[in-house]
Amino acid sequence: MACKQCKEHPVITLTNSPISLCKRCFTRYFERKVFKTIRDHKLIHKIKRVGVALSGGKDSLTVLTLLKKYSEGRAMEIVAIAVDEGIHDYRAHTLVKAREVCTQLEVPLYVYSYKDAFGYSLDETLTKLKVKPCSVCGVFRRYLLNKAAKELTVERLATGHNLDDEAQTILMNQFRDNPELSARLGPLTGVTENEGFIQRIKPLYLVTEKEVMTYAYLNNLVIGFNECPNAQEGYRNDVRNLLNKMEEKYPGTKHALVNSFLSILPMLKREFKETKSINVCIRCKEPTSREVCQTCYYRGKLNEH
Amino acid sequence: MNIKVYVDKGNKEQTINVTTISEIFKKLNLSMDSFIIVRNNELITEHATLREGDTIRLLSVISGG
Repeated sequence: MACKQCKEHPVITLTNSPISLCKRCFTRYFERKVFKTIRDHKLIHKIKRVGVALSGGKDSLTVLTLLKKYSEGRAMEIVAIAVDEGIHDYRAHTLVKAREVCTQLEVPLYVYSYKDAFGYSLDETLTKLKVKPCSVCGVFRRYLLNKAAKELTVERLATGHNLDDEAQTILMNQFRDNPELSARLGPLTGVTENEGFIQRIKPLYLVTEKEVMTYAYLNNLVIGFNECPNAQEGYRNDVRNLLNKMEEKYPGTKHALVNSFLSILPMLKREFKETKSINVCIRCKEPTSREVCQTCYYRGKLNEH
Repeated sequence: MNIKVYVDKGNKEQTINVTTISEIFKKLNLSMDSFIIVRNNELITEHATLREGDTIRLLSVISGG
């Protein structure tokens, strides 16, 4: 089966339609799709400075590459923000790739570490606190990215979430009867009424994980398989496998799920409009719905040891 | 025909007897949505024709966290 458009050697068969594309035609298709998502959802409309949350993995490197391309000829700056959690034999590898790509693209990279921000690396934190690694790491990472984005005067922060990630999260929230969490999904998220929060954008929202990997491979953005040693994604893996089986049997399932979700998302957002008042944490002055934010709660626990 | 297959997640390499790429996925119980397929550093699709002695690398599309 040759490329549908130019009959060259194909590099991918799309999952939602039986079309094969060569490197050149796939690259054009992929970039157009991402740029259309950016325009249709006004992800960076009238935005002058965008941050990219960069892990050094294929998704965030792809977002960085495409946003840099999109910014050419526009009055828009791109900066990259990486978080070094301090996980032995893991993050250092991906940061090498992050630095390499930032140098090539001439994008400034700012690295924020847990050690500098909280006094302890994640590895050290886990020896002191009896908590699930992903719970404390997620809280610290969100806090640090938001703080870094404000320090660097970034107006929006881009992440590498793709269509597969979103489809899995939608289904997980349904299975767990948690529509309120789904109301916080979508290609553009975050509170607009509070200056303390930097809104997040997901330019890869409508491209599949396989398409991202294909683009990344063709553009030398892939490092060898490198899995976080703390990864605990049992439930997500089950949902991923379920969705992949459905997609193989009924092509287009993931796109249909995310597209139908997008059509009801405005209703969900109205129904679950943030009712809790947003305060500032009495310790760090960052926004929170509580008196003391979760980051400072963990910090307090760490300092007890 | 005998095909050498390397699956990057788990670093497994094995030789299996198949005639199509779809058969590789079926035999290894893997989802085609979860891997890209590489032969001689070149990306191919599941519709490519296999040749005796081919080495196929399946690279996981799933991020590692």
